[in-house]
Amino acid sequence: MKPQVNILALVDVIGALSDRTLGNGNLSLVDNGDFHSLGQGTPELCTIVSPGQVVQWQVLAVDLQTPVEIKSITFLGPEGANGGALNGGSHNGAPDGGDGEKLDLGVWIGIVPPYLPPGVGHRYRLELQMYEGDNSVMHIDSPTLMCL
Amino acid sequence: MTAKPRVQPTAPKRPISITAVVDCVGALASDSMQGNLYFYDTNKAGGSAGFGTEALRTKVSRGDQLLWGVLALECEAFVAIEGIEIDRDICEPVRKVYPGTDVAYWIGTVKKDTAQPIPYLIRFQVGTRVEPITTTTPPMLVG
Amino acid sequence: MPQQLAIIVLVDVGNALTAESLKDNVYLFDNMKLHGSEGEGTGDLVTAINGAYWRDGSQASEQVLNWLPYSLGSIPPTVPRGYQADRARQSDQEALDELDALTSKPPAAGNDTASQLAKIRKTAGTRVKTTRRTSGRMSGQKILDVTGNVVGEGETHAYSYPGPVITDIYGQAVDEKIIYPAEYGSPDLVTDGWYWSATVDTSRPGTYAYTMRIQLHKLVQRSGEILWEPVNLTCESRLRVTAEPRFNAFTGGGMGLLPIPPVAYSYPAAPTATDETGES
Repeated sequence: MKPQVNILALVDVIGALSDRTLGNGNLSLVDNGDFHSLGQGTPELCTIVSPGQVVQWQVLAVDLQTPVEIKSITFLGPEGANGGALNGGSHNGAPDGGDGEKLDLGVWIGIVPPYLPPGVGHRYRLELQMYEGDNSVMHIDSPTLMCL
Repeated sequence: MTAKPRVQPTAPKRPISITAVVDCVGALASDSMQGNLYFYDTNKAGGSAGFGTEALRTKVSRGDQLLWGVLALECEAFVAIEGIEIDRDICEPVRKVYPGTDVAYWIGTVKKDTAQPIPYLIRFQVGTRVEPITTTTPPMLVG
Repeated sequence: MPQQLAIIVLVDVGNALTAESLKDNVYLFDNMKLHGSEGEGTGDLVTAINGAYWRDGSQASEQVLNWLPYSLGSIPPTVPRGYQADRARQSDQEALDELDALTSKPPAAGNDTASQLAKIRKTAGTRVKTTRRTSGRMSGQKILDVTGNVVGEGETHAYSYPGPVITDIYGQAVDEKIIYPAEYGSPDLVTDGWYWSATVDTSRPGTYAYTMRIQLHKLVQRSGEILWEPVNLTCESRLRVTAEPRFNAFTGGGMGLLPIPPVAYSYPAAPTATDETGES
Protein backbone atom coordinates (compact mmCIF):
# COMPACT_ATOMS: atom_id res chain seq x y z
CA MET A 1 0.00 0.00 0.00
CA LYS A 2 1.27 3.45 -0.87
CA PRO A 3 1.87 5.66 2.15
CA GLN A 4 0.38 8.60 0.23
CA VAL A 5 -2.52 8.97 -2.20
CA ASN A 6 -2.49 12.00 -4.48
CA ILE A 7 -5.72 13.52 -5.78
CA LEU A 8 -5.27 15.79 -8.76
CA ALA A 9 -7.91 18.27 -9.94
CA LEU A 10 -7.45 19.21 -13.59
CA VAL A 11 -9.30 22.40 -14.45
CA ASP A 12 -10.06 24.07 -17.77
CA VAL A 13 -9.96 27.53 -16.22
CA ILE A 14 -11.06 29.50 -19.28
CA GLY A 15 -13.82 26.94 -19.89
CA ALA A 16 -15.02 27.10 -16.27
CA LEU A 17 -14.97 30.90 -16.18
CA SER A 18 -16.73 31.12 -19.57
CA ASP A 19 -19.42 28.58 -18.63
CA ARG A 20 -19.56 29.68 -14.98
CA THR A 21 -19.49 26.09 -13.86
CA LEU A 22 -17.00 23.39 -13.02
CA GLY A 23 -19.40 21.02 -14.83
CA ASN A 24 -19.48 20.61 -18.62
CA GLY A 25 -16.23 18.72 -18.37
CA ASN A 26 -14.35 21.71 -17.01
CA LEU A 27 -13.11 19.76 -13.97
CA SER A 28 -11.82 16.26 -13.77
CA LEU A 29 -10.48 14.51 -10.69
CA VAL A 30 -8.05 11.62 -10.70
CA ASP A 31 -6.09 9.82 -7.98
CA ASN A 32 -3.30 7.30 -7.79
CA GLY A 33 -4.70 5.20 -4.95
CA ASP A 34 -4.18 1.43 -4.76
CA PHE A 35 -7.78 0.36 -4.27
CA HIS A 36 -9.63 1.00 -7.53
CA SER A 37 -11.17 4.36 -6.78
CA LEU A 38 -14.46 5.04 -8.54
CA GLY A 39 -15.30 7.81 -10.99
CA GLN A 40 -11.76 8.53 -12.13
CA GLY A 41 -11.68 11.52 -14.45
CA THR A 42 -15.02 12.90 -13.26
CA PRO A 43 -16.06 15.38 -10.55
CA GLU A 44 -17.62 12.38 -8.72
CA LEU A 45 -14.31 10.76 -7.86
CA CYS A 46 -14.59 8.41 -4.89
CA THR A 47 -11.10 7.85 -3.57
CA ILE A 48 -10.67 4.61 -1.67
CA VAL A 49 -8.20 5.00 1.18
CA SER A 50 -7.07 3.18 4.29
CA PRO A 51 -6.82 4.70 7.79
CA GLY A 52 -3.36 6.12 8.40
CA GLN A 53 -2.73 6.85 4.74
CA VAL A 54 -1.74 10.37 3.77
CA VAL A 55 -3.92 12.15 1.20
CA GLN A 56 -2.79 15.20 -0.75
CA TRP A 57 -4.85 17.35 -3.10
CA GLN A 58 -3.32 19.38 -5.91
CA VAL A 59 -4.80 21.42 -8.72
CA LEU A 60 -3.49 22.00 -12.22
CA ALA A 61 -4.82 24.27 -14.96
CA VAL A 62 -5.01 22.54 -18.32
CA ASP A 63 -4.55 25.98 -19.88
CA LEU A 64 -1.15 26.10 -18.22
CA GLN A 65 -0.60 29.81 -17.84
CA THR A 66 -3.88 30.52 -16.09
CA PRO A 67 -3.97 30.70 -12.30
CA VAL A 68 -5.97 28.26 -10.20
CA GLU A 69 -5.60 27.39 -6.52
CA ILE A 70 -7.51 25.34 -3.98
CA LYS A 71 -9.37 27.80 -1.78
CA SER A 72 -10.76 25.26 0.64
CA ILE A 73 -11.54 21.60 1.19
CA THR A 74 -14.38 21.02 3.62
CA PHE A 75 -15.73 17.64 4.65
CA LEU A 76 -19.50 17.74 4.76
CA GLY A 77 -21.45 16.43 7.70
CA PRO A 78 -24.46 14.12 7.66
CA GLU A 79 -26.84 14.75 4.81
CA GLY A 80 -28.73 18.03 5.03
CA ALA A 81 -26.43 19.32 7.70
CA ASN A 82 -23.66 21.17 6.01
CA GLY A 83 -23.33 23.11 9.22
CA GLY A 84 -22.09 19.93 10.77
CA ALA A 85 -19.01 20.17 8.66
CA LEU A 86 -15.80 20.49 10.53
CA ASN A 87 -14.11 23.72 9.79
CA GLY A 88 -11.65 22.08 7.55
CA GLY A 89 -9.36 24.10 5.50
CA SER A 90 -9.79 27.76 4.93
CA HIS A 91 -6.62 28.59 6.69
CA ASN A 92 -6.14 30.08 3.25
CA GLY A 93 -2.64 30.28 3.74
CA ALA A 94 -1.95 33.05 5.76
CA PRO A 95 -1.87 34.28 9.28
CA ASP A 96 -3.56 37.44 7.98
CA GLY A 97 -6.65 35.47 7.06
CA GLY A 98 -5.85 34.89 3.45
CA ASP A 99 -6.68 37.38 0.78
CA GLY A 100 -6.13 34.92 -1.97
CA GLU A 101 -2.56 35.86 -2.56
CA LYS A 102 -1.11 33.16 -0.37
CA LEU A 103 -3.24 30.28 -1.56
CA ASP A 104 -0.35 28.93 -3.54
CA LEU A 105 1.64 28.39 -0.34
CA GLY A 106 -0.90 26.08 1.28
CA VAL A 107 -0.37 22.35 1.01
CA TRP A 108 -3.62 20.39 1.20
CA ILE A 109 -2.41 17.28 2.94
CA GLY A 110 -3.58 15.18 5.88
CA ILE A 111 -3.85 11.73 7.43
CA VAL A 112 -6.97 9.57 7.07
CA PRO A 113 -8.35 9.35 10.66
CA PRO A 114 -8.39 5.91 12.25
CA TYR A 115 -11.99 6.28 13.41
CA LEU A 116 -13.57 6.27 9.94
CA PRO A 117 -15.96 3.36 9.43
CA PRO A 118 -15.24 1.28 6.33
CA GLY A 119 -17.45 1.48 3.28
CA VAL A 120 -18.90 4.87 4.09
CA GLY A 121 -18.38 7.75 1.73
CA HIS A 122 -17.27 11.06 3.18
CA ARG A 123 -18.28 13.73 0.84
CA TYR A 124 -16.27 16.93 0.64
CA ARG A 125 -16.55 20.34 -0.91
CA LEU A 126 -13.66 21.33 -3.14
CA GLU A 127 -13.56 25.08 -3.63
CA LEU A 128 -11.32 26.57 -6.30
CA GLN A 129 -10.13 30.10 -6.85
CA MET A 130 -9.46 31.06 -10.47
CA TYR A 131 -7.90 34.49 -10.69
CA GLU A 132 -9.89 37.18 -8.86
CA GLY A 133 -13.34 38.72 -9.20
CA ASP A 134 -17.05 38.04 -8.73
CA ASN A 135 -17.01 34.83 -10.74
CA SER A 136 -13.64 33.56 -9.66
CA VAL A 137 -14.64 31.11 -6.89
CA MET A 138 -16.51 27.88 -7.69
CA HIS A 139 -16.98 24.61 -5.87
CA ILE A 140 -18.19 21.08 -6.23
CA ASP A 141 -19.69 18.90 -3.47
CA SER A 142 -19.50 15.65 -5.40
CA PRO A 143 -16.19 13.94 -4.58
CA THR A 144 -15.80 11.55 -1.67
CA LEU A 145 -13.23 9.72 0.41
CA MET A 146 -14.12 6.19 1.44
CA CYS A 147 -12.25 3.83 3.75
CA LEU A 148 -11.60 0.32 2.62
CA MET B 1 -3.29 58.12 -72.91
CA THR B 2 -2.63 60.98 -70.58
CA ALA B 3 -0.91 60.68 -67.28
CA LYS B 4 -3.30 60.29 -64.38
CA PRO B 5 -3.47 63.30 -62.14
CA ARG B 6 -2.16 62.48 -58.69
CA VAL B 7 -5.09 62.32 -56.36
CA GLN B 8 -3.02 62.67 -53.27
CA PRO B 9 -0.01 64.85 -52.79
CA THR B 10 1.88 62.14 -50.92
CA ALA B 11 1.88 58.37 -50.93
CA PRO B 12 -1.04 56.87 -48.99
CA LYS B 13 -0.33 56.51 -45.31
CA ARG B 14 0.09 53.24 -43.50
CA PRO B 15 -3.18 52.39 -41.67
CA ILE B 16 -3.28 53.29 -38.00
CA SER B 17 -3.45 50.01 -36.11
CA ILE B 18 -5.35 50.02 -32.82
CA THR B 19 -4.51 46.98 -30.73
CA ALA B 20 -6.38 45.77 -27.65
CA VAL B 21 -4.46 43.51 -25.28
CA VAL B 22 -6.98 41.55 -23.20
CA ASP B 23 -6.42 39.68 -19.96
CA CYS B 24 -9.06 37.06 -20.79
CA VAL B 25 -8.96 35.24 -17.48
CA GLY B 26 -9.27 38.51 -15.56
CA ALA B 27 -12.16 39.67 -17.76
CA LEU B 28 -14.04 36.38 -17.37
CA ALA B 29 -13.44 36.16 -13.62
CA SER B 30 -14.72 39.68 -12.99
CA ASP B 31 -17.27 40.01 -15.83
CA SER B 32 -15.66 43.25 -16.85
CA MET B 33 -12.98 44.71 -19.03
CA GLN B 34 -12.04 47.17 -16.32
CA GLY B 35 -8.42 46.63 -15.40
CA ASN B 36 -8.18 43.81 -17.92
CA LEU B 37 -7.77 45.77 -21.12
CA TYR B 38 -4.82 47.73 -22.50
CA PHE B 39 -5.08 49.75 -25.71
CA TYR B 40 -2.27 50.85 -28.01
CA ASP B 41 -2.06 52.33 -31.47
CA THR B 42 0.67 53.01 -34.00
CA ASN B 43 0.14 56.76 -34.13
CA LYS B 44 2.08 57.84 -31.07
CA ALA B 45 4.27 60.05 -33.24
CA GLY B 46 1.10 61.67 -34.60
CA GLY B 47 -0.16 62.57 -31.13
CA SER B 48 -2.18 59.61 -29.82
CA ALA B 49 -2.30 59.33 -26.02
CA GLY B 50 -3.52 57.06 -23.22
CA PHE B 51 -1.34 54.11 -24.19
CA GLY B 52 -1.74 51.09 -21.96
CA THR B 53 -5.13 52.22 -20.65
CA GLU B 54 -8.73 51.56 -21.62
CA ALA B 55 -9.13 55.21 -22.60
CA LEU B 56 -6.85 55.33 -25.60
CA ARG B 57 -7.10 58.57 -27.59
CA THR B 58 -6.18 57.87 -31.19
CA LYS B 59 -5.24 60.95 -33.17
CA VAL B 60 -6.91 60.76 -36.57
CA SER B 61 -7.75 62.93 -39.54
CA ARG B 62 -10.03 62.53 -42.52
CA GLY B 63 -8.94 59.74 -44.85
CA ASP B 64 -7.00 57.79 -42.23
CA GLN B 65 -7.55 54.07 -42.41
CA LEU B 66 -8.05 52.48 -38.98
CA LEU B 67 -7.44 48.81 -38.28
CA TRP B 68 -8.54 47.23 -35.00
CA GLY B 69 -7.05 44.01 -33.71
CA VAL B 70 -6.80 42.12 -30.45
CA LEU B 71 -4.19 40.07 -28.60
CA ALA B 72 -4.78 37.73 -25.64
CA LEU B 73 -2.51 38.04 -22.66
CA GLU B 74 -2.70 34.26 -22.15
CA CYS B 75 -1.67 32.55 -25.35
CA GLU B 76 -4.12 29.68 -24.74
CA ALA B 77 -7.10 32.02 -24.59
CA PHE B 78 -9.43 33.04 -27.38
CA VAL B 79 -10.44 36.65 -27.81
CA ALA B 80 -11.99 38.49 -30.75
CA ILE B 81 -13.76 41.74 -31.50
CA GLU B 82 -17.46 41.06 -31.96
CA GLY B 83 -18.46 44.60 -32.81
CA ILE B 84 -17.44 48.25 -32.74
CA GLU B 85 -20.09 50.86 -31.96
CA ILE B 86 -19.08 54.24 -33.29
CA ASP B 87 -20.78 57.23 -34.88
CA ARG B 88 -21.38 56.06 -38.46
CA ASP B 89 -20.89 59.59 -39.73
CA ILE B 90 -17.27 59.39 -38.61
CA CYS B 91 -16.29 55.81 -39.39
CA GLU B 92 -17.96 52.53 -40.37
CA PRO B 93 -15.67 49.70 -39.32
CA VAL B 94 -16.27 46.34 -41.00
CA ARG B 95 -15.02 42.91 -40.06
CA LYS B 96 -12.61 41.20 -42.41
CA VAL B 97 -10.36 38.18 -42.13
CA TYR B 98 -6.73 37.72 -43.06
CA PRO B 99 -6.93 35.94 -46.44
CA GLY B 100 -7.01 32.18 -46.04
CA THR B 101 -7.56 32.27 -42.26
CA ASP B 102 -10.38 32.80 -39.79
CA VAL B 103 -8.38 35.41 -37.91
CA ALA B 104 -10.37 38.64 -38.05
CA TYR B 105 -9.64 42.34 -37.96
CA TRP B 106 -11.88 45.40 -38.23
CA ILE B 107 -11.14 48.15 -40.68
CA GLY B 108 -12.66 51.51 -41.52
CA THR B 109 -11.81 54.93 -42.90
CA VAL B 110 -12.21 58.20 -41.04
CA LYS B 111 -14.87 60.05 -43.06
CA LYS B 112 -14.40 63.53 -41.73
CA ASP B 113 -12.37 65.64 -39.37
CA THR B 114 -13.94 66.19 -36.01
CA ALA B 115 -13.48 68.89 -33.43
CA GLN B 116 -15.04 66.81 -30.64
CA PRO B 117 -13.47 63.56 -29.44
CA ILE B 118 -15.49 60.58 -30.70
CA PRO B 119 -15.94 57.91 -28.03
CA TYR B 120 -16.75 54.38 -29.15
CA LEU B 121 -17.40 50.94 -27.69
CA ILE B 122 -15.90 47.58 -28.51
CA ARG B 123 -17.63 44.29 -27.75
CA PHE B 124 -15.24 41.41 -27.16
CA GLN B 125 -15.83 37.69 -27.43
CA VAL B 126 -13.80 36.11 -24.65
CA GLY B 127 -13.03 32.43 -24.08
CA THR B 128 -16.03 30.26 -24.85
CA ARG B 129 -18.44 32.64 -23.13
CA VAL B 130 -21.57 33.36 -25.18
CA GLU B 131 -22.34 36.98 -24.23
CA PRO B 132 -19.71 39.51 -25.20
CA ILE B 133 -17.93 41.75 -22.69
CA THR B 134 -17.96 45.46 -23.59
CA THR B 135 -15.45 48.17 -22.83
CA THR B 136 -16.35 50.11 -19.67
CA THR B 137 -14.33 53.23 -20.39
CA PRO B 138 -14.67 54.21 -24.04
CA PRO B 139 -11.60 54.69 -26.18
CA MET B 140 -11.79 57.75 -28.42
CA LEU B 141 -10.85 59.11 -31.78
CA VAL B 142 -9.57 62.67 -31.52
CA GLY B 143 -9.06 65.15 -34.30
CA MET C 1 3.16 22.29 -9.48
CA PRO C 2 5.44 24.34 -11.71
CA GLN C 3 3.94 27.71 -12.48
CA GLN C 4 4.24 28.94 -16.05
CA LEU C 5 4.79 32.67 -16.18
CA ALA C 6 4.46 34.47 -19.49
CA ILE C 7 6.09 37.78 -20.26
CA ILE C 8 4.73 39.47 -23.38
CA VAL C 9 7.02 41.96 -25.11
CA LEU C 10 4.87 44.13 -27.38
CA VAL C 11 7.02 46.28 -29.67
CA ASP C 12 5.92 49.32 -31.66
CA VAL C 13 8.24 48.26 -34.46
CA GLY C 14 7.65 51.24 -36.74
CA ASN C 15 8.38 53.81 -34.06
CA ALA C 16 11.30 51.82 -32.66
CA LEU C 17 12.94 51.69 -36.10
CA THR C 18 12.39 55.41 -36.58
CA ALA C 19 13.76 56.22 -33.14
CA GLU C 20 16.41 53.49 -33.35
CA SER C 21 15.51 52.70 -29.77
CA LEU C 22 13.09 50.54 -27.82
CA LYS C 23 12.77 53.20 -25.15
CA ASP C 24 9.07 54.17 -24.97
CA ASN C 25 8.40 51.79 -27.85
CA VAL C 26 8.02 48.56 -25.92
CA TYR C 27 5.16 47.50 -23.65
CA LEU C 28 5.58 44.60 -21.27
CA PHE C 29 2.95 42.34 -19.68
CA ASP C 30 2.96 39.26 -17.52
CA ASN C 31 0.27 37.08 -15.96
CA MET C 32 1.37 37.82 -12.41
CA LYS C 33 -0.54 41.01 -11.70
CA LEU C 34 -2.43 39.35 -8.85
CA HIS C 35 0.82 38.18 -7.35
CA GLY C 36 2.27 41.66 -7.21
CA SER C 37 3.75 42.49 -10.61
CA GLU C 38 3.88 46.21 -11.27
CA GLY C 39 3.84 48.33 -14.40
CA GLU C 40 1.68 46.03 -16.55
CA GLY C 41 1.39 47.34 -20.08
CA THR C 42 4.25 49.83 -19.69
CA GLY C 43 7.92 49.77 -20.57
CA ASP C 44 8.79 49.43 -16.90
CA LEU C 45 7.46 46.07 -15.76
CA VAL C 46 8.56 44.47 -12.51
CA THR C 47 7.56 40.81 -12.63
CA ALA C 48 6.72 39.30 -9.27
CA ILE C 49 8.03 35.80 -8.79
CA ASN C 50 6.76 34.31 -5.57
CA GLY C 51 8.76 31.29 -4.63
CA ALA C 52 8.05 28.85 -1.86
CA TYR C 53 10.25 26.70 0.32
CA TRP C 54 9.80 23.75 2.63
CA ARG C 55 10.69 23.76 6.29
CA ASP C 56 14.10 22.35 5.53
CA GLY C 57 14.77 25.36 3.30
CA SER C 58 14.60 23.52 -0.01
CA GLN C 59 12.78 25.10 -2.93
CA ALA C 60 9.15 23.97 -3.01
CA SER C 61 7.93 25.29 -6.33
CA GLU C 62 9.32 25.65 -9.78
CA GLN C 63 8.72 28.89 -11.64
CA VAL C 64 9.19 28.91 -15.38
CA LEU C 65 9.36 32.14 -17.36
CA ASN C 66 8.41 32.32 -21.03
CA TRP C 67 8.98 35.37 -23.22
CA LEU C 68 6.69 36.12 -26.17
CA PRO C 69 7.63 39.02 -28.46
CA TYR C 70 4.75 40.56 -30.44
CA SER C 71 4.60 43.40 -32.95
CA LEU C 72 2.14 46.26 -32.52
CA GLY C 73 0.13 46.81 -35.67
CA SER C 74 1.48 43.89 -37.68
CA ILE C 75 -0.29 40.78 -38.89
CA PRO C 76 -1.17 39.10 -35.58
CA PRO C 77 0.71 36.09 -34.25
CA THR C 78 -2.50 34.04 -34.35
CA VAL C 79 -2.43 33.53 -38.12
CA PRO C 80 -1.11 30.08 -39.04
CA ARG C 81 2.59 29.45 -38.95
CA GLY C 82 4.17 29.99 -42.37
CA TYR C 83 1.47 32.50 -43.27
CA GLN C 84 3.89 34.77 -45.16
CA ALA C 85 5.13 31.86 -47.28
CA ASP C 86 1.56 30.67 -47.95
CA ARG C 87 0.47 34.10 -49.10
CA ALA C 88 3.55 34.35 -51.33
CA ARG C 89 2.73 31.04 -53.05
CA GLN C 90 -0.91 31.99 -53.41
CA SER C 91 -0.05 35.30 -55.09
CA ASP C 92 2.35 33.49 -57.47
CA GLN C 93 -0.50 31.22 -58.49
CA GLU C 94 -2.84 34.15 -59.03
CA ALA C 95 -0.24 35.90 -61.18
CA LEU C 96 0.30 32.76 -63.27
CA ASP C 97 -3.45 32.44 -63.78
CA GLU C 98 -3.67 36.03 -64.93
CA LEU C 99 -0.70 35.55 -67.24
CA ASP C 100 -2.40 32.48 -68.69
CA ALA C 101 -5.55 34.42 -69.34
CA LEU C 102 -3.60 37.22 -70.98
CA THR C 103 -1.59 34.99 -73.36
CA SER C 104 -4.64 32.98 -74.38
CA LYS C 105 -6.42 36.10 -75.63
CA PRO C 106 -6.22 36.80 -79.37
CA PRO C 107 -3.52 39.40 -80.10
CA ALA C 108 -5.91 41.47 -82.22
CA ALA C 109 -8.23 42.20 -79.36
CA GLY C 110 -6.58 45.54 -78.81
CA ASN C 111 -5.70 44.92 -75.19
CA ASP C 112 -3.26 47.17 -73.52
CA THR C 113 -0.73 44.43 -72.81
CA ALA C 114 1.63 46.71 -70.96
CA SER C 115 -0.96 47.81 -68.43
CA GLN C 116 -2.17 44.24 -67.96
CA LEU C 117 1.37 43.10 -67.30
CA ALA C 118 1.72 45.89 -64.79
CA LYS C 119 -1.38 44.62 -63.04
CA ILE C 120 0.05 41.11 -62.94
CA ARG C 121 3.28 42.46 -61.55
CA LYS C 122 1.21 44.02 -58.78
CA THR C 123 -0.49 40.71 -58.05
CA ALA C 124 2.85 38.94 -57.96
CA GLY C 125 4.08 41.40 -55.38
CA THR C 126 7.53 42.24 -54.23
CA ARG C 127 9.86 39.54 -53.11
CA VAL C 128 12.42 40.36 -50.48
CA LYS C 129 16.04 39.41 -50.59
CA THR C 130 17.72 38.95 -47.28
CA THR C 131 21.16 39.69 -46.11
CA ARG C 132 23.30 36.71 -45.24
CA ARG C 133 22.65 37.24 -41.55
CA THR C 134 18.89 36.99 -41.91
CA SER C 135 18.69 34.34 -44.59
CA GLY C 136 16.42 31.53 -43.70
CA ARG C 137 13.72 33.19 -41.71
CA MET C 138 12.40 35.59 -44.34
CA SER C 139 14.42 34.71 -47.40
CA GLY C 140 12.42 34.91 -50.60
CA GLN C 141 9.25 35.90 -48.81
CA LYS C 142 7.01 38.56 -50.14
CA ILE C 143 6.03 41.77 -48.50
CA LEU C 144 2.55 41.73 -47.02
CA ASP C 145 0.53 44.69 -45.87
CA VAL C 146 -1.15 44.79 -42.48
CA THR C 147 -4.26 43.14 -43.90
CA GLY C 148 -2.29 40.14 -45.21
CA ASN C 149 -2.32 41.14 -48.88
CA VAL C 150 0.77 41.06 -51.03
CA VAL C 151 2.32 44.45 -51.61
CA GLY C 152 3.31 45.30 -55.18
CA GLU C 153 6.28 47.23 -56.41
CA GLY C 154 6.23 50.90 -55.60
CA GLU C 155 3.65 50.58 -52.85
CA THR C 156 5.85 49.35 -50.08
CA HIS C 157 4.68 52.13 -47.81
CA ALA C 158 2.03 49.99 -46.12
CA TYR C 159 3.93 46.79 -45.40
CA SER C 160 3.54 44.82 -42.20
CA TYR C 161 6.71 44.60 -40.16
CA PRO C 162 7.97 41.12 -39.36
CA GLY C 163 7.59 40.23 -35.69
CA PRO C 164 10.38 41.09 -33.29
CA VAL C 165 12.78 38.31 -32.40
CA ILE C 166 14.49 37.94 -29.04
CA THR C 167 18.09 36.95 -29.71
CA ASP C 168 19.52 37.03 -26.19
CA ILE C 169 18.59 37.51 -22.55
CA TYR C 170 21.43 38.58 -20.27
CA GLY C 171 22.39 40.93 -17.46
CA GLN C 172 22.26 40.92 -13.68
CA ALA C 173 19.60 38.22 -13.21
CA VAL C 174 21.59 35.89 -15.47
CA ASP C 175 25.04 36.85 -14.11
CA GLU C 176 23.86 36.23 -10.57
CA LYS C 177 22.34 32.89 -11.58
CA ILE C 178 18.79 33.85 -10.66
CA ILE C 179 17.44 32.81 -14.05
CA TYR C 180 18.78 30.29 -16.54
CA PRO C 181 17.43 31.42 -19.90
CA ALA C 182 17.71 29.55 -23.18
CA GLU C 183 15.91 29.40 -26.49
CA TYR C 184 13.73 26.37 -27.12
CA GLY C 185 11.93 24.91 -30.11
CA SER C 186 8.19 24.74 -29.73
CA PRO C 187 5.16 23.42 -31.56
CA ASP C 188 3.30 26.50 -30.31
CA LEU C 189 1.75 28.33 -33.24
CA VAL C 190 2.04 31.81 -31.82
CA THR C 191 5.80 31.83 -31.35
CA ASP C 192 6.93 30.87 -34.83
CA GLY C 193 8.40 27.69 -33.42
CA TRP C 194 10.91 29.23 -31.04
CA TYR C 195 10.73 30.86 -27.68
CA TRP C 196 12.93 31.96 -24.82
CA SER C 197 12.34 30.33 -21.49
CA ALA C 198 14.04 30.30 -18.10
CA THR C 199 13.81 28.56 -14.77
CA VAL C 200 14.17 30.67 -11.65
CA ASP C 201 16.17 30.15 -8.47
CA THR C 202 13.81 31.62 -5.87
CA SER C 203 16.12 31.01 -2.93
CA ARG C 204 17.70 34.47 -3.05
CA PRO C 205 14.95 37.12 -2.78
CA GLY C 206 15.62 40.50 -4.32
CA THR C 207 15.03 42.60 -7.41
CA TYR C 208 17.12 41.68 -10.40
CA ALA C 209 17.36 43.41 -13.78
CA TYR C 210 17.80 41.65 -17.09
CA THR C 211 18.25 42.83 -20.66
CA MET C 212 16.62 41.47 -23.80
CA ARG C 213 18.35 41.86 -27.15
CA ILE C 214 15.61 42.22 -29.72
CA GLN C 215 16.04 42.06 -33.47
CA LEU C 216 13.71 44.11 -35.66
CA HIS C 217 13.72 44.25 -39.45
CA LYS C 218 13.78 47.31 -41.60
CA LEU C 219 12.84 47.28 -45.28
CA VAL C 220 15.60 48.93 -47.28
CA GLN C 221 16.29 49.34 -50.98
CA ARG C 222 19.89 48.84 -51.94
CA SER C 223 21.20 48.72 -55.52
CA GLY C 224 17.79 47.87 -56.88
CA GLU C 225 17.10 45.11 -54.38
CA ILE C 226 14.67 45.18 -51.51
CA LEU C 227 16.11 43.79 -48.32
CA TRP C 228 15.03 43.13 -44.76
CA GLU C 229 17.89 44.54 -42.77
CA PRO C 230 18.25 43.43 -39.15
CA VAL C 231 18.34 46.11 -36.48
CA ASN C 232 19.43 45.01 -33.01
CA LEU C 233 18.09 46.94 -30.04
CA THR C 234 17.88 46.24 -26.34
CA CYS C 235 15.41 46.82 -23.54
CA GLU C 236 15.50 46.11 -19.84
CA SER C 237 13.03 44.66 -17.36
CA ARG C 238 13.15 43.46 -13.78
CA LEU C 239 12.19 40.46 -11.69
CA ARG C 240 11.28 40.73 -8.02
CA VAL C 241 11.86 37.40 -6.35
CA THR C 242 10.32 36.58 -3.00
CA ALA C 243 10.04 33.30 -1.15
CA GLU C 244 7.80 32.21 1.68
CA PRO C 245 7.44 28.98 3.62
CA ARG C 246 4.80 26.45 2.72
CA PHE C 247 2.37 25.27 5.38
CA ASN C 248 -0.34 22.72 5.86
CA ALA C 249 -3.56 24.29 4.60
CA PHE C 250 -5.78 22.09 6.81
CA THR C 251 -4.01 22.76 10.10
CA GLY C 252 -2.17 26.01 9.39
CA GLY C 253 0.88 24.29 10.83
CA GLY C 254 2.19 20.77 10.63
CA MET C 255 0.71 17.48 9.51
CA GLY C 256 -2.54 16.33 11.13
CA LEU C 257 -5.60 14.16 10.69
CA LEU C 258 -8.00 15.16 7.92
CA PRO C 259 -10.90 17.13 9.47
CA ILE C 260 -13.60 14.58 8.72
CA PRO C 261 -16.68 14.60 11.00
CA PRO C 262 -16.75 11.39 13.07
CA VAL C 263 -20.47 11.04 12.43
CA ALA C 264 -20.85 8.98 9.32
CA TYR C 265 -22.51 10.71 6.43
CA SER C 266 -25.51 8.61 5.43
CA TYR C 267 -24.65 8.19 1.88
CA PRO C 268 -27.41 7.67 -0.68
CA ALA C 269 -26.16 4.90 -2.95
CA ALA C 270 -24.09 5.81 -5.96
CA PRO C 271 -22.44 9.24 -5.96
CA THR C 272 -23.54 10.13 -9.45
CA ALA C 273 -27.25 10.84 -9.13
CA THR C 274 -27.10 14.60 -8.74
CA ASP C 275 -24.97 17.19 -10.36
CA GLU C 276 -23.57 19.17 -7.53
CA THR C 277 -21.37 21.30 -9.63
CA GLY C 278 -21.97 24.97 -9.65
CA GLU C 279 -20.77 28.31 -8.64
CA SER C 280 -20.63 29.29 -5.05
